[in-house]
Amino acid sequence: MEDKEFNLEQMEKETEEMLKINILNPAEAKFFRTKGGFAGLKVKEEEYPRVQVVRMFPFTDPEHYISIRTVEERSKEIGIIEDMSKIDAETRALLLEQLNLRYFTPVITKIINIKDLHGFAYFDVLTDRGECRFTIHMGGGAVVHLSETRVIITDLDENRFEIPDIMKLSANERKKLDLFL
Amino acid sequence: MILDFGLTKEYKAKLGLGKKEEIYYCIPYDIDAAGNYIKDAFVVVSTQRIFVLEKGELKESFLLSDLIEVKAESEISCGIFFVVPQATKEAQVVVRYSAKHLARFAYVARGCGELIAGSSRRIVSEEYEKTCFKCGRALPGTKECPHCSKKKEGVMNDFFRLLKPYKLQLLFIIGIMIMVAVTSLLNPEVQKRLVDNVLDDRRGTVSQAIICLAAMFAISMLTMALNISKNYFCSKLGSTISMDLRRKLYAKIQLLSLSFINDRKPGDLMNRVVHDTRNVSNFMADAFCNLFTVAIMLVFSVTYMLILDWKLALLSFLFIPVSVSISIAFRKNIHRRFHMQRKKEDKINSNLRDVITGMAVVKSYGKEEAETQRFNETAESYATVQKRNEVFWAVFFPAMNFVMGIGTYLITYAGGKSVLQGDKTVGELMQFVNYTSMMYMYVGWLSNLPRIVMNMVTSVERISDVMHQEPKIVDSENAKEHSIEGDIEFKNVTFGYKSYEPVLEHIDLKVNKGEMIGLVGASGTGKSTLINLIMHLYDIDDGELLIDGINIKDIKAENYHSQIGVVLQETFLFSGTILNNIKFARPEATTMEVIRAAKMANAHDFICKTPDGYNTYVGERGYNLSGGERQRIAIARAILNEPKLLILDEATASLDTESEYLIQTALDRLTTGKTTFAIAHRLSTLKNADRLVVIDGHHIAEVGTHNELMDKKGIYYGLVTAQLEMQNSKKTEGSDNNNE
Repeated sequence: MEDKEFNLEQMEKETEEMLKINILNPAEAKFFRTKGGFAGLKVKEEEYPRVQVVRMFPFTDPEHYISIRTVEERSKEIGIIEDMSKIDAETRALLLEQLNLRYFTPVITKIINIKDLHGFAYFDVLTDRGECRFTIHMGGGAVVHLSETRVIITDLDENRFEIPDIMKLSANERKKLDLFL
Repeated sequence: MILDFGLTKEYKAKLGLGKKEEIYYCIPYDIDAAGNYIKDAFVVVSTQRIFVLEKGELKESFLLSDLIEVKAESEISCGIFFVVPQATKEAQVVVRYSAKHLARFAYVARGCGELIAGSSRRIVSEEYEKTCFKCGRALPGTKECPHCSKKKEGVMNDFFRLLKPYKLQLLFIIGIMIMVAVTSLLNPEVQKRLVDNVLDDRRGTVSQAIICLAAMFAISMLTMALNISKNYFCSKLGSTISMDLRRKLYAKIQLLSLSFINDRKPGDLMNRVVHDTRNVSNFMADAFCNLFTVAIMLVFSVTYMLILDWKLALLSFLFIPVSVSISIAFRKNIHRRFHMQRKKEDKINSNLRDVITGMAVVKSYGKEEAETQRFNETAESYATVQKRNEVFWAVFFPAMNFVMGIGTYLITYAGGKSVLQGDKTVGELMQFVNYTSMMYMYVGWLSNLPRIVMNMVTSVERISDVMHQEPKIVDSENAKEHSIEGDIEFKNVTFGYKSYEPVLEHIDLKVNKGEMIGLVGASGTGKSTLINLIMHLYDIDDGELLIDGINIKDIKAENYHSQIGVVLQETFLFSGTILNNIKFARPEATTMEVIRAAKMANAHDFICKTPDGYNTYVGERGYNLSGGERQRIAIARAILNEPKLLILDEATASLDTESEYLIQTALDRLTTGKTTFAIAHRLSTLKNADRLVVIDGHHIAEVGTHNELMDKKGIYYGLVTAQLEMQNSKKTEGSDNNNE
């Protein structure tokens, strides 16, 4: 009977811990880069050989509220970094590298051509990551407005592309895109 | 899905493969270390090593024997392929790729796992590609691209094969088409005679004019009648063909294994049955029925024009590209406008649906005002688009007709001059102009044809894709009917929905006739999979499943299924009456049998309470039954079928205590003396089970009676105590609250 009570207690303890908002203190949390190119973390006595770096608000606030999590399947939050600009340059660079590994959303800088054919639209664009061709479903849902001027386009493979400000595109490019907005 | 893109000889030489080393996988990655797009970059896996080949240079290689693990981790719209070397035990990034290659790398990582584990199995993916590698077009959910590859001919062949049974009807329709062409061409000819021989210079008499007019009238009537019958027969043929297709498709889908159906969205298969077959029938009605008429008339009018006045004919041909490009441009524009309007309409619809289904939430938070505002905005933007389109129709159609007519004006001008010079009669000119406008019309129509044909080809391709599937579960040749006794034996059974991912491994279990087996384990461990195998919805990959000592593959599937009763957590009732739902598996059952089954299932009383008794209409948009009531109808259905083998999958989950009791007693009646497999999360519902089987980590972890397993203090013990604990803590919390 005893060990099962222990189980329940532990579960309660874990649930309690999940409730807490744990802001990581830069003095205590030491991030390090692993040889393999990932990030590890040492906080107080605990050491994590690899942590996940996750944006809570990837669209609206990518520089704040970064959740540092364990990597296993039922990932738990180790702590939160409130503001990326308030941590030292070295750690910031390390975390940014991890964020760049995790998030891949090329920004469309120029629309070369859009062709629609049989329910699909074929995009030929320039992005900040290089030239790219991708295909979207015309059915709807592929283009999502984050605001009046900011859109996210999701292609057939679920790649995501961002146009931060459609007003910054040329009139001609906007006309090509018009059908999807 | 392609897992080996094939390396050129030159690239292969760079790898320095050993003698016995064979390339298993070779797939591209498209993001470089700096996070930019990259082309000409591959990850190659041989039987011994993993290579990274970037722009023709060998960047990195790993010996598989040095690695503990190879993983493909999916991130946000991209993925990381990494290895864990034995030496460091630290994950090491190998390459990155966009979402385009996510699935591909997942397969290859599994493949590497197999190789590391010492197996030489090469993983093959049955998944379809999303894009055609040849033409870059998106594939419409088919294996082959309908546009390229020689399959295009194959698809046309499929189409012709489809038409084969209707040969006679087709010939008949073609006959009508030729007659339509002849009569349509005849009219301008008579008109010419009227003008030249009768009207010109007042040469003829009134009666002659009347005869000509009567002839023209008769020809027009005839053309109309022929056209009507042509359209009638074409539409009829089209719908017959599509009905035929629909029937074949439906039968095929029912034949195909669940894995094929589960791999697709239900909407996709529905589309193929409804939408694609309609496309084929539309093609018959719209395109095919005019094809021969147009072709004949075009050839004839062009020949006639050339003979009459080749110079004038060439002049009028000059306008063909103009008329074609105008018609294409307008079609694009119209398509665009339609699409835009439809999109806005969708938006309004989804907005409305949102608010109406969520009305309770909107009202309870007092958000009516804000929602009204939001709706008004979408409605306004829809109205703007609609208004713009209406204006477009009103202005541009007449304008387009005018532009298309300019060619005719010029012909009239040039031709008129030659009439005045006496080279041609007035009637000839009129006939010429008539043929010219006919020609423009048909050329415009023909320019539309490739699109219509392509639409049809895509639909036929999507249909043949299903039709050409081989059903995975086929009765073997010596399959026979067998009356199930109830002995079931698993002999070293291994099974996975995907070949690289076994869900059950090395299952050995012998179940005796009449035994009730409770299946226990955390979700996702394979309980439902085990049941799916017993139901023979899937074929096992390895090992044997014996029913009364006979291999399940040697029993006719339909005969086998008719002897199994199934009660699932989510009861599916078909649209229809309660009576029909109970009689689903045994339509020939007598009324008394149905009532007896309903009584045994504790369903009779609530059925009598419903307004129309056993005739109450249930199912989608039918009479609202509670979860427990639906469940009891399902049990009655199972009882009526007198199954030899029973399967209960969470049959009593998510029910209130009273209906749980009623269902439990009903189930007890149902299960007595029959071999039963039951899955339940609430372990108390398995108290009647003769034996419990605990499944954990793809294996059978524990087998035994409740008491045996409790004594063993293993997984089952843990589960039982945890559930008791939860109940107790709830109870104490409840009593605490009462005290306050």
